[in-house]
Order: sequence, then structure tokens, then C-alpha cells
Amino acid sequence: MNYKQKSHLHPDLLNPAAANLDPDKLLGRWINTNWETRGIAECTVAREGDDINVHIIGVGEDGPIHWPTARATPLANLEEEAGQRTPAMTATFDLGFMRADTHIRINKGVFVIVLFVTFLDDSGRANYLNREFFYRQA
Amino acid sequence: MSKPKYAQLSDLIELDPIKHIDPKPLLGHWINSNPDTISIARINITEANGKLQLQVFAVGPDRLIDWGIASAEVFAPNPASSTGAGFTCTYDFGFAEARFQAMIMKGLLVLAQFHTFKDGSNRASYFMREYYAMTHEHFDQ
Repeated sequence: MNYKQKSHLHPDLLNPAAANLDPDKLLGRWINTNWETRGIAECTVAREGDDINVHIIGVGEDGPIHWPTARATPLANLEEEAGQRTPAMTATFDLGFMRADTHIRINKGVFVIVLFVTFLDDSGRANYLNREFFYRQA
Repeated sequence: MSKPKYAQLSDLIELDPIKHIDPKPLLGHWINSNPDTISIARINITEANGKLQLQVFAVGPDRLIDWGIASAEVFAPNPASSTGAGFTCTYDFGFAEARFQAMIMKGLLVLAQFHTFKDGSNRASYFMREYYAMTHEHFDQ
């Protein structure tokens, strides 16, 4: 079997139960822990057929801004600090004038979105990264 | 001047255009904080011809594996900044692809890796997140 690092040979990658690929823990509506955020207000992760879809609502001047829904790629989590193995996923949001490449995971019950924003509109804004934290809406 | 398009209020800024994001905070030799890692042990980050370049050394079953050099994109901490705070990069090995999203936090480089297999081996796509500290030691292997 081809490999480029030892983890490529991890036996759990061939064992769906052990790989913990089930994204169910990520499903639901998640609200930003920071009420004063100027970034992402909330995020909803939903299963639709075989797809996992992510919908983000940004904070706007005059009200919420609905981003186009993105299909997520669920990822197994081999190991993380403190032995956590919660599933993660990536999703890319294409808004035309900008693209946001994200990875999303749960860390000790907190839903974390890490965002890498690339501007495509020659506006002179720097491509940037950000992290925001969310709690599950009961 | 008209307002730029935005998807979150934090992106609605007026500024002199940022022409270059300085990658200097990212440059150097980074070593994994976990000596028992089964993933990437070391990363050399350099700048060549205005582009950020990575050279990755990963842990194999019996020796380090040099992944060679790949170009990376630099990211600032906000849209008005010209200081590098992270990067993205992709290594395509043919049988698999490794994508990186990395950021500096409290002096550590936090590297998120996303591995996808394309060889029909039925291995699950997976995620890893590890921490790297800047070292003054130079390493070629």
C-alpha cells in the first residue's frame, strides 16, 4: 500500500467504525459564542440524502447575509490532543467575489470553524484567516 | 468609491490596497511538539521569488520521508493586515492528496492536515491537527 507518512498506514482507516467518520455529532444549528461578532453569526449542518450540507449566515450591515450552501467532506480524525477523536469536515464556500475554505470540528463540545478567505475581486483586501466558536442551539 | 462586496461585516473595510503579505513570521524550521507523531515531523518554510515554499519531512515506518518542495499561499490575520499569520498548501502524490491549513497561535504553528486517497484502497479520508515550534536547528533530512 502506498504511503507518504506512517499515519497513511493506520489500520483504523480501513475500519469505518474505528475511523469515527460519522458526522452526526456535527449536525445541527450552531450559534456564535460571541454576540458581538462581525463575522459568522450562525452555521447549520444538515444531512440531505448522502450529502452533508453547511449553511452559514454572516453578519451584515442591514441584516443577516446567507452564504450559498456548501457540501462538506467528512473526515475521520485519527488523533488529536487529549485523545479526542471527534469527526471533522471541510467545506468551500464560493461567493464569486471571495472564496472561503473552511475546516470544521468539535473541540470539547465547542463547534469550531477555521476560515481561510481569498478575495477574488481585486479590492485590495488581504487574504486572511480567522477562527470562530459556536454552541449548539438547543 | 463604492463599497466592496462582503459576506460578513468584518470584511467591509476601506484601506490602501494590500499588495503583499509579509511571510516573515512563518519562515524557519518548525519541529513537531509530539516526538511520537505518526505524521509530519518537521517543516522547512522559506521564501523564493516572492512565494512561500514548504519542505515537509514526515515520519515513515523506518525513516523520515522527504515530501519535497511545494508552494503555499500566505494569509494575514485580517483583511487589513499585511503580516503573514498562516498558509494553505497542497501536496499531490498521485495515490493521495494532502491539503494543509496552518496558522500561528501563541508562537506555535498549528497545522491542520486533510488526507484523501485516490488509489482505490478504501482508506478513509482523514484529518490531523498538530503543533510545531520554531527551532534554530537546521535540518536537511
